[in-house]
Amino acid sequence: MAEEIRIQFHEELEQLEHRALDGLDLVISSLDRTIEAVQHQDAELAELVVADDDLIDGRYLEIHQAILNLMATQAPVASDLRLMAALLHVMKCMERMGDQCVNIAKLIPITGHDPPADETLLKHIFDMGKGVREQVRQAKRAFVDRDVGLARDLVRQDDLVDDLNREVFHRAIEIGDDHDVREWAMTMILVARAIERIGDNAVDIGEQVAFLVTGLFREFEDSSHPSEDLAGQHSSA
Amino acid sequence: MADAERTRAERAVPGISLEETVHETHAGGPRSSLKREPVFELEGVSVAYDGNPAITDVSMEIYRNHITALIGPSGCGKSTLIRCFNRMNDLIPSARVDGRVIYHGQDIYADEIDPVEVRKRIGMVFQKPNPFPKSVYDNIAFGPRVLGMKGEMDAIVERALRGAALWDEVKDRLDSNAFGMSGGQQQRLCIARCLAVEPDVILMDEPCSALDPISTGKIEDLMMELKERYSIVIVTHNMQQAARVSDLTAFLIVKLDADEKHRQGRLVEYDETEKIFTNPSDSRTEDYVTGKVG
Repeated sequence: MAEEIRIQFHEELEQLEHRALDGLDLVISSLDRTIEAVQHQDAELAELVVADDDLIDGRYLEIHQAILNLMATQAPVASDLRLMAALLHVMKCMERMGDQCVNIAKLIPITGHDPPADETLLKHIFDMGKGVREQVRQAKRAFVDRDVGLARDLVRQDDLVDDLNREVFHRAIEIGDDHDVREWAMTMILVARAIERIGDNAVDIGEQVAFLVTGLFREFEDSSHPSEDLAGQHSSA
Repeated sequence: MADAERTRAERAVPGISLEETVHETHAGGPRSSLKREPVFELEGVSVAYDGNPAITDVSMEIYRNHITALIGPSGCGKSTLIRCFNRMNDLIPSARVDGRVIYHGQDIYADEIDPVEVRKRIGMVFQKPNPFPKSVYDNIAFGPRVLGMKGEMDAIVERALRGAALWDEVKDRLDSNAFGMSGGQQQRLCIARCLAVEPDVILMDEPCSALDPISTGKIEDLMMELKERYSIVIVTHNMQQAARVSDLTAFLIVKLDADEKHRQGRLVEYDETEKIFTNPSDSRTEDYVTGKVG
């Protein structure tokens, strides 16, 4: 026994994983530009975000096809099969995160060239962007390292982002009676919501890490069963 | 714990990964309360040829109306193990079988047991189709005649051929020599020959390794039909075949003796097939099914 076989297949799979997870770097890059565009009301940068989403979509399609090809030709099983299934999920999350950046970017021209921005609210948006950026980065690292603990920690980070999202909402409600300011604040609620969804996608990637390692898929947090510490089940895996 | 209880507790049932110290640890039990009726219960079965162990201390259950696949690298003892189920190893003078092979509560290796009766109840299909140099009809009728089975022979032959999904293809040439059939047809003829003596269990030792994909597909479809009435144990080198057709899969490995001169097979993991091929419990199974080791 102990003679390694199917070397080429496993090398292909390894390269596929690298290429897929590098797609998350594209998301981080897009997210950085998006947050910067929001901060500076930079419509041109926002246009770049929209245009460059093709890169993310292209990566999604490329990896999707490569996974189908390997499934069709190599009949993967066990951890190889789980890796491919997990990568399909990760790619979908990546594509959705890219779309959220586009959603935000498309809101920027609506706010106008020099909107009546509220510094406190804008700071919350910026902090959310930083937090979500770290989530995406950590999700990638957890996947690469097969680190379930690190993946589970994404829930803690996501809670912080969720808190900021609520802060944005409350600040927007209390922002005053000026029509233009209120309109800008309502737009920022949509921005915050999109950023918060990116954080949720990062958690979804973390769940795929747990699935990849343990073979069990359970949501880390389940809103319909909030009393169950589902995430805790992974910590001992 | 009473001896009988201990024996049962230590027997591998699906859901157990057998650790390196397999005979000491057998911890665990059925993964779920599955309603499975054991047909065979193997207790500490070891087989040696000329004193050299081929498989060591295999304990497991085989279940009614299930297809159980035995997989593992060459030399792990898959074929040796399947031959224990109907005393085919008796035909090898140097073979010695230890442990108990209990079939419906009866040890088939007990002194009073007639091996011919065992093989009537537990039929076998081999790697290479081996029809007799006779007509299609006589191939099927041979077993029932030898066993003196009662009943209309034409009906027995037709029932067996229908059971093997071969009737429509050969009903007009029952008198033709079986050697004129294709490989896939010959293998289904061998299955029909096995069915003709009304067995309870069908053992298949790499039944498709000499067949093309179409014939293989027909045999696999047939197996799925047959398991409604029979219990099937299959040895296969084709892991995708095991994944496609079996309900349960047992993985065996080859281990070198302490003196590193002799190889022997051991049961590593026995579980539901979906589990074996999506999330095996033992890293050795994982390495084998993913092709990391051969």
